[in-house]
Amino acid sequence: MADDREPPPLFENVDISKNFDDGSEDIFSSAIDDIGGLTISNNGLSEVNGQPEGSPQPEQDDMGGFLDRSAPTPAPRNVVSNDSKESMERDGGDQFLEIIVSEPSKRGEGMGAFVAYKVITRTNMKLFKRQQFSVYRRFSDFLGLHDKLVEKYLRSGRIIPPAPEKSMIGTTKIKMSNQNDQQSLTGDFVEKRRAALERYMKRTAAHPVLCVDPDFREFLECEDELPRANSTSALSGAGVLRLFNKVGETVNKITFKMDENDPWFEEKTTQMENLDNQLRKLHGSVESLVIHRKDLAVLTSSFAKSAAMLSNCEEHTALSRALSQLAETEEKVETLHNEQANTDFSILCELLKDYIALIGAVKDVFHERVKVYQNWQHAQLMLNKKREQKAKLELSGKPDRGNTAGVEVVEWQAKVERGQEEFDAISQMIKKEMERFEINRVKDFKQTVITYLENLMLHQQQLVKHWEAFLPEAKAIA
Amino acid sequence: MMDGVEDAPEESRKGARSETVDLTDNSLVVDISDALSEKEKVKFTVHTKTTLPEFQKPEFLVVRQHEEFVWLHDRFEENELYAGYIIPPAPPRPDFDASREKLQKLGEGEGSMTKEEFSKMKQELEAEYLATFKKTVAMHEVFLCRLVSHPIFRNDHNLRVFLEYDQDLCVRGKNRMEMLEGFVKSFSTTSDELLLSATVKDVNDFFEQEKLFLLKYYKQLNEATTRADSMTKKHKDVADCFIKVHTGLLQLSAADPDLGKSLTKVAEVFEKARKVEGRVASDEDLKLSDLLRYYMRDTYAAKRLLYRRLRCLANYENANRNLEKARAKNKDVHAALEVAEAEAAQKIACEKFDQMSDKGKEELMDFKTRRVIAFRKHLIELAELEIKHAKSQVQHFKNCLASLRDEE
Repeated sequence: MADDREPPPLFENVDISKNFDDGSEDIFSSAIDDIGGLTISNNGLSEVNGQPEGSPQPEQDDMGGFLDRSAPTPAPRNVVSNDSKESMERDGGDQFLEIIVSEPSKRGEGMGAFVAYKVITRTNMKLFKRQQFSVYRRFSDFLGLHDKLVEKYLRSGRIIPPAPEKSMIGTTKIKMSNQNDQQSLTGDFVEKRRAALERYMKRTAAHPVLCVDPDFREFLECEDELPRANSTSALSGAGVLRLFNKVGETVNKITFKMDENDPWFEEKTTQMENLDNQLRKLHGSVESLVIHRKDLAVLTSSFAKSAAMLSNCEEHTALSRALSQLAETEEKVETLHNEQANTDFSILCELLKDYIALIGAVKDVFHERVKVYQNWQHAQLMLNKKREQKAKLELSGKPDRGNTAGVEVVEWQAKVERGQEEFDAISQMIKKEMERFEINRVKDFKQTVITYLENLMLHQQQLVKHWEAFLPEAKAIA
Repeated sequence: MMDGVEDAPEESRKGARSETVDLTDNSLVVDISDALSEKEKVKFTVHTKTTLPEFQKPEFLVVRQHEEFVWLHDRFEENELYAGYIIPPAPPRPDFDASREKLQKLGEGEGSMTKEEFSKMKQELEAEYLATFKKTVAMHEVFLCRLVSHPIFRNDHNLRVFLEYDQDLCVRGKNRMEMLEGFVKSFSTTSDELLLSATVKDVNDFFEQEKLFLLKYYKQLNEATTRADSMTKKHKDVADCFIKVHTGLLQLSAADPDLGKSLTKVAEVFEKARKVEGRVASDEDLKLSDLLRYYMRDTYAAKRLLYRRLRCLANYENANRNLEKARAKNKDVHAALEVAEAEAAQKIACEKFDQMSDKGKEELMDFKTRRVIAFRKHLIELAELEIKHAKSQVQHFKNCLASLRDEE
């Protein structure tokens, strides 16, 4: 769907040099893609969501790698500086990078306590020293990684998969909980966070550039503890600073309106805004559904207890037995309701939440483009000013100072050029990233929705079974 | 409110009788052929067909209100002749406040939802109102059916008046004074009941056990009914939540050209699931909560029987005591007369008590059979409906999944 509507004009302009080298490239790259898809499906269902993310950039990335191997015609690869990095991304079509986050365990005591997660990586990428390895990372490490990636790549227009949110309440609960209390670790909060972290890792690993980033690799490979990422803590000085920055950015976002002359961006911005709103709304509805379902489970269990009590005092033996069977059935139904509520939450709700966050990342990157534009415009303004100055000085017959002004003009000229270049680069990168994002989003959404419906169906099938088991008991009342 | 629904119940009501009384003999048949809700009142049209000579005509149509049903019930309760019988419980007062309240709430929240959501919620509420209405009518009908099918009750004079007299019975609702009186009375009967159960020792094991059982059973039934009610209500809420999810999905599909088609399909399946889930809730209400509720009230009626018997026993013991007293005073001139009087009174009380015990035993046994049959029927129906609904849910999901997979 995305393909036929969205080939951005700029994108083609840039790639044109490469694509024209060899007419058959497209076919090759798509073939590679298929292979990629096949190997991935062997890795299990969960991989399917994240892994195919490599596909959206077949023309550039895969071709780059492909050419390295078969190299029929060396392609000129100097369009964007990042492309050289992207070419490293794949040595062949059948690479995989599979990450599992598991075994949350509590470390330390009191306020210093934290939960460490085991991050297991399996890969055949040459960049990694081994094929399989695992490390222990704490939550702030994950956040630190995200910050580093944002710092490095946001400016160039990459959509950085967002890390899960910090939750003071949940963290405090973990800190308060007893050391030996494994209950809290298997509990809801940690499990949800673990799942969120895993999705975050998978999304990052599926990104052609981010997955080869040295920081990311260090995060996965380095067996020692990473230096504490202090800035992620909400209460630290860096945290406060970050807060200020954020406020500033928000003000900037509100006050600065760039006059968009690229209809693609205009359309996408409104579309994202719209999506964001609708996703939030739906998220709210699903959340209230979860709450109601949980309540229903509680009430069902209380009715089951009541039915059991009733069966206890029923004189008629067969009826009493049937009532106790009813109580048991209702208990099973209660379990089903609970499971259903959890499914609603962990599949549907979390999907929506992820996408709200992802769209947030998209918005960030759009905003980054606006900032680049601002810089460029600022440079342009300065250049005009300097030129005027220069002209004035020359007119007033001060050639010495006119010369220095001329140097400045040249300087600003260069800045303007750089600004424009940067702006063009980020615009084009965003389009590329967006295409990838859209394709992934469609696949991801569909897959998750299918999983969710399958789950719903399964629960109903179990419900049928439970009631079918009860039916003969009711018939046995005589 | 709800003007559109007022007269709707008449066509669809027939199928909804929650209790059918077995009538092999057609000499006296009663049904409620129509019911109208006018402001606060519900007017039931009671339709009687009979071949009994006591009645003036073979067929009657009279309009009765809820208060008249209660009046009839109270007459039976009061009548000493029926002390040994379980009096069918009076139907509950028509109560649409819950529906009204919900509708009002919905009206207040109108701004926060889309038009479609609002109209759907309104539809749901109207359906709920209709269901409550039907149930109320059915309860009133069951009450009458049980009376007319009873070999003794059917000959009652008051019942005949109730069925035959084509004018208003002039039963007012209780005014404040009477309400207070009723309250005091019910308080005194409860304390009487407590006193009796503490002072009068029952020699009959059957009744003693039956009493213990009924007390416990009533308590548990009461508890179970409340819980079943809140469970079914919650189930309805869950179903209503689907409305919001459905609209959310539809709006999202409108905002998202790439996923629009798939999301619309998911929205559709949610809509279907909502309807089924709503039916599950209403069937649970009908088959489970209502069953429990009815037997809770029937158990209460049985408890009343036991109380009346105990009262009778106390009277009998009093008569015994009086007789002994009279005999002790036999030096007196009038002693012989007094003794004879006391003896007669004691004899009557004894007879009455014995009769009542026999009758009561029969009635309690009957109650048990009736209960077991009703539970069996309803539980089977409940299980069958649950299976049916869950299966249709599975089918909906299956279809949706198939069509989603087809897209790929």
